[in-house]
Amino acid sequence: MIDIAGILMENILYVILITLGGVLISWSVHFVPVGGAPAAMAQATGIGTGTVQLAAGAGLTGLVTAGAMMQISDSMALVLASGAAGAMIMMSVTMIVGTWVYAYGVGCPPASAKVKYDPITKDRQDLYVSQGTEGHGLPTVSFVSGVIGGALGGIGGSLVYYALMSIDNGLALPELVGIASVFAVGIFFVNAVIPSYNIGGTIEGFHDPKFKRWPKAVIASFIATFFCALVGVLAIGGL
Amino acid sequence: MSAGGSGAAAEAIPQNKIIAFGVAGGLIGIYAAYFLVDMVGQYMSFIGALGAICGMIWGAAAVRRVASYGLGTGVPSIGMLALGMGVVAATFGLAVGGIVGPVIALITAAIIGLMIGVIANKILNMGIPIMEISMTEIATAGTITILGLAIAMTGTFDFDVVLPQVITTGYIAVIFIAGGLAILHPFNANLGPDEKQDRTLMCALEKGAIAMVVAGIVATVNAGASGALTILIGLALWYIGFSGYYARVKRDAYVVVGTGMLPTKEELE
Repeated sequence: MIDIAGILMENILYVILITLGGVLISWSVHFVPVGGAPAAMAQATGIGTGTVQLAAGAGLTGLVTAGAMMQISDSMALVLASGAAGAMIMMSVTMIVGTWVYAYGVGCPPASAKVKYDPITKDRQDLYVSQGTEGHGLPTVSFVSGVIGGALGGIGGSLVYYALMSIDNGLALPELVGIASVFAVGIFFVNAVIPSYNIGGTIEGFHDPKFKRWPKAVIASFIATFFCALVGVLAIGGL
Repeated sequence: MSAGGSGAAAEAIPQNKIIAFGVAGGLIGIYAAYFLVDMVGQYMSFIGALGAICGMIWGAAAVRRVASYGLGTGVPSIGMLALGMGVVAATFGLAVGGIVGPVIALITAAIIGLMIGVIANKILNMGIPIMEISMTEIATAGTITILGLAIAMTGTFDFDVVLPQVITTGYIAVIFIAGGLAILHPFNANLGPDEKQDRTLMCALEKGAIAMVVAGIVATVNAGASGALTILIGLALWYIGFSGYYARVKRDAYVVVGTGMLPTKEELE
């Protein structure tokens, strides 16, 4: 049997870092403009898919870019920065291509129905919203919000992966990469679903009234990730 | 009241029986595969996949029950949550447990699931009365799915074998998606006002059989397991599942008609 208390005491810093990473992923989801099926039919703003897919996308891109950076550097700041940049690029590309489809394919202007004036550009929104819709496309404020969400999700994802990879253990590198990735993916999915239950469908970004609910999801993610972090640290540290 | 609305789903088979079927079938499959591979031969590894199918059917039934209340978000999210919790618990159980690894994995999964269920109701205020029990069930079913398919691929749940042959090689991703589909897809595909429990669960059997065939294909490259029997039994189960599902679709449909081939260009003019 493994020395549970000893491993936990030795790796308490990594438990904290993993928990912090999970909380960041959970918070980041609230920034990302999620439109679900209505957005896919241009009846709501945001990206036409669910929160879980977008959070997992941002987190996993963070994991991939962090993994690439960890091959050449042990610096936590560099790993987190590359994770953030990777996820921001992924989110921006998703949103800009989505905007092209809305503007040139569907033929609707990006406009939000939640605010009268775009908080960033101060452009009038309500004139451009089609009747019976919740807005459409990705207005500037949603795009900026999504990029912020990508950065937070990428930092969270790479933080979880970096912490898991740093735990003392007796594994060969390929096996450590395998098990750390599996744990990281498990933690991403848990932290992607919790905020999606908090948001319950669609959100436009930080100007959306639903954004105010984020503390609840962050507390929920904190508790859930803390337990997952204990389990992960014990499993990897005991090998 | 059945699917997609708010309220408990109608059940022909009570959930308690499905829980017993999932836990007992799953554990028997996992341990039987482990010991029979040692005693009889590596071709017995297919029993692990049968255990996994018990877990998948249980998971699909639990998803059906909780998603009937309306989650406010897509049904697939709960399947991803199941596998997310399951993969954490399964890896932990196998890593620390040795011979009791699967049992430790199930207990860990139940604790994580229960905790997320309590969080969902108490902090996120989802207000679904069966959320706690359903989350516990879904996490445990996800863990059985992962363990069962991993044993069908390797012939053992010894972590020194599972780690290099399933996790490091990336086959865990196949388990994640194939097992996740079997849990989240049946209710998502069948939901609607005329959703019936037996039709949804038959769809879970069909999806589970596909996961079994995939596990069999992976097993052919591993020394401790044999893929041929797993693939054959998986194909037979898939046929039973698919024809059973088709029969229930025909039973529940108002009418089934053949539309014929699409008209050719000349016929349209």
